[in-house]
Amino acid sequence: MSVLWRNDPGYPVLLAAIADPPARLFVRGVLPVGPTVAVVGSRQGTPYGQRAAHQLAEDLSNQGIIVVSGLARGIDRAAHEGALTGPTPTVAVLASGLDPIYPPEHVELADRIAVTGALLSEAEDGSLPLPARFPVRNRIISGLSLGVIIVEAAERSGALITARLALEQGREVFCVPGSIENPLTLGPHSLVKDGATLVRTVEDVLAELPEAVRAYARAHARAPAPARADSGPQEPELAAVWELLDWVEPRHHDELAEQLRLDVIEVSRRLTLLEMGNYIIGDRGAVTRSRRRLDK
Amino acid sequence: MQAHTLSGTVFGLEGMRVEVEADIGQGLPGFHIVGLVDRAVQEARERVKIAINNSGQEFPGQKVTVNLAPAQVRKEGTGFDLAIAAAILSCTVHRPLPKGAAWLGELALDGSVRPIRGILAISAHLDRSGANIFYVPPANVAEARLATSRPVHAVPDLRRLVRYWVDGEPLPDTVLEAGDPSPALTAVDLADVRGHAHAKRALEIAAAGSHHLLFVGPPGSGKTLLARALPGIMPSLEERAALEVTTIASILGGLAPGSGLITEPPFRAPHHSISTAGLIGGGDNTPQPGELSRAHNGVLFLDEINELRRDALEALRQPIEDGRLVVARRHGHAVLPSRFILVAAANPCPCGRYGDQKKPCTCTPPQRQRYQARLSGPIRDRIDLQVSVLRQPAAELLHHADGAESSATVRERVMDARARQRKRRPDGPLNGALTGTQLRRDVHLDAAGQDLLTAAGDRLHLSGRALHRLLRVARTIADLEGAADVAAAHLAEAVQYRESG
Repeated sequence: MSVLWRNDPGYPVLLAAIADPPARLFVRGVLPVGPTVAVVGSRQGTPYGQRAAHQLAEDLSNQGIIVVSGLARGIDRAAHEGALTGPTPTVAVLASGLDPIYPPEHVELADRIAVTGALLSEAEDGSLPLPARFPVRNRIISGLSLGVIIVEAAERSGALITARLALEQGREVFCVPGSIENPLTLGPHSLVKDGATLVRTVEDVLAELPEAVRAYARAHARAPAPARADSGPQEPELAAVWELLDWVEPRHHDELAEQLRLDVIEVSRRLTLLEMGNYIIGDRGAVTRSRRRLDK
Repeated sequence: MQAHTLSGTVFGLEGMRVEVEADIGQGLPGFHIVGLVDRAVQEARERVKIAINNSGQEFPGQKVTVNLAPAQVRKEGTGFDLAIAAAILSCTVHRPLPKGAAWLGELALDGSVRPIRGILAISAHLDRSGANIFYVPPANVAEARLATSRPVHAVPDLRRLVRYWVDGEPLPDTVLEAGDPSPALTAVDLADVRGHAHAKRALEIAAAGSHHLLFVGPPGSGKTLLARALPGIMPSLEERAALEVTTIASILGGLAPGSGLITEPPFRAPHHSISTAGLIGGGDNTPQPGELSRAHNGVLFLDEINELRRDALEALRQPIEDGRLVVARRHGHAVLPSRFILVAAANPCPCGRYGDQKKPCTCTPPQRQRYQARLSGPIRDRIDLQVSVLRQPAAELLHHADGAESSATVRERVMDARARQRKRRPDGPLNGALTGTQLRRDVHLDAAGQDLLTAAGDRLHLSGRALHRLLRVARTIADLEGAADVAAAHLAEAVQYRESG
């Protein structure tokens, strides 16, 4: 662990530019250099929100963009995990001290982040994750980043504070849309109404960033533009099942059997074949289409 | 004057032979029972004395001593009353007791004989250890006859016993007619359960291969109804299993008077607040079977299994691993059989809404994690089938006209599948209890099956144990279909019953 002072040469330029940059930062790992985008959201993220955060972070990482998040449960975790799937390091900014890690179940994730990226905190070791520390921490997340992507945030939530701080700091605000029935999309949807950029893919994010960053991303793109599994399987009997599935809303075996007028046994068999082909994600009777790339 | 005869009691599920000796001799008038007896046996003095006096006989006004041997074993219960009375009466009416006769029954004050618990286990044991004629309460005759082929006589009361000895008047052949073969009140026919096709199929597999099963779903989604349908699709108990079940019911006093063998698998559904003692069985000195043994050869349904106390949950481990329970008490240990199909039901999280897109769950992730983790690894490892159960939309319940199969139809398939397993392993376990080594012998995959198994292991990150669960379930699916070997299609279906996550 090291300490980074405001006048040190390694101090992030973007962060130094905000109105109240932290005088000193505790750093575990190595603070990576490159364009940064924050991905934050609710700790109660739905499976959809977590998949979206994971996917966007992974795609950003594949374009050489450093993903910044808060190591919280839910969306933050999905963002870090997604970023770690790609080649670019990720940065976690903590509200507590760097030791012990909060939340405790993310100790192992923190270890993986620190291998290539960094954990940052303004608070000394042993500092507790007190409620007052979170908004203070959020100004660092947005301050470090060119833009902030909000994935699922309730009204009056920490993620919305981050969005407001980002605007004050002159950074871009991006929002991932969701179901209007989900209260966690109230936050991002009202931000979009107020002019934030709606994000469907990583391209939507890059388009709003400076040309220099786009060029950097093009130069660092490891994977070609992500090909999505948005076309179904070739086999007609598998395609028939896939057609009934949704990207977000899970379906149950019983519903599929009913709609297809098929035996549940046959439905089970087809679902397994679809899972083996990575077309769908099955989770004990909750089946959704898979957005993962086909690795064949 | 002395008399000597046989009686018995139970320890755990085993009968125990007790010799009853009576001596009427010189000394101050009195009545003593010796031989490490508990309160209930001490109280036999009053019952026996008054019963004899109320039966036209006179209790001897001398020193009466009764010894129950072996003297070092603790004796409980009221089943010795009849033997004690018979020994004393045989002295007073000067008629020797028939040799090798066993006497079982509790006395009422008017001299009539009341049924006791555990006649089945006691008679079976006495039959093996030399008794050759049985005198039992009329309500227990049918039960005793299950355990022995030797003569069993009903003793309605002491008055008639004396007439039988003195006047040679035969004891009445009062065999109580069993009531209607108990129509299982709990049984639910599958045809009456609407929808839930996936869960019903899981029940069929569970019944066929004796696999443990977990239903996960929000409150009110029909998990209990589904579980209640399971006994109805299981085969009737084979003779040995039926005898075991009847013995347990008899010891617990759960047999209706005059009823014979229980042939339908039991269904037990203890509440989740049950104590460990309630599951394993209580008893201070001698163990009493608990819910885990009552469910033997049947179904144990644990609703809200995550709400069970930790120690109660851990008590499940031994039965689901070994099919039996070893219970230690002050006077020795007993082995209680408890081989059942566990049907567990759980909410997806403490608030029950996790996974619902419209009403988000209000539980925090650690709450959810703690909730899920309450079902410990060793127990999860033994649950081969996991199914999520959806809340049925109201519309679905109102107009639904699928030709749902009746329990009888499904039961036919289950019985065929069981027969195939018996043929493969005449003495071995059913598919649900196959070990890794046994699986290798019973499951031969072709190339397509092997490929699917490898792919499933890789893609779904399945552990070795999860793969074993998969193979056990696939073996049962193949047996249900009548296939000699497990094919890729069977495995493909089995994958859909795996653990979540």
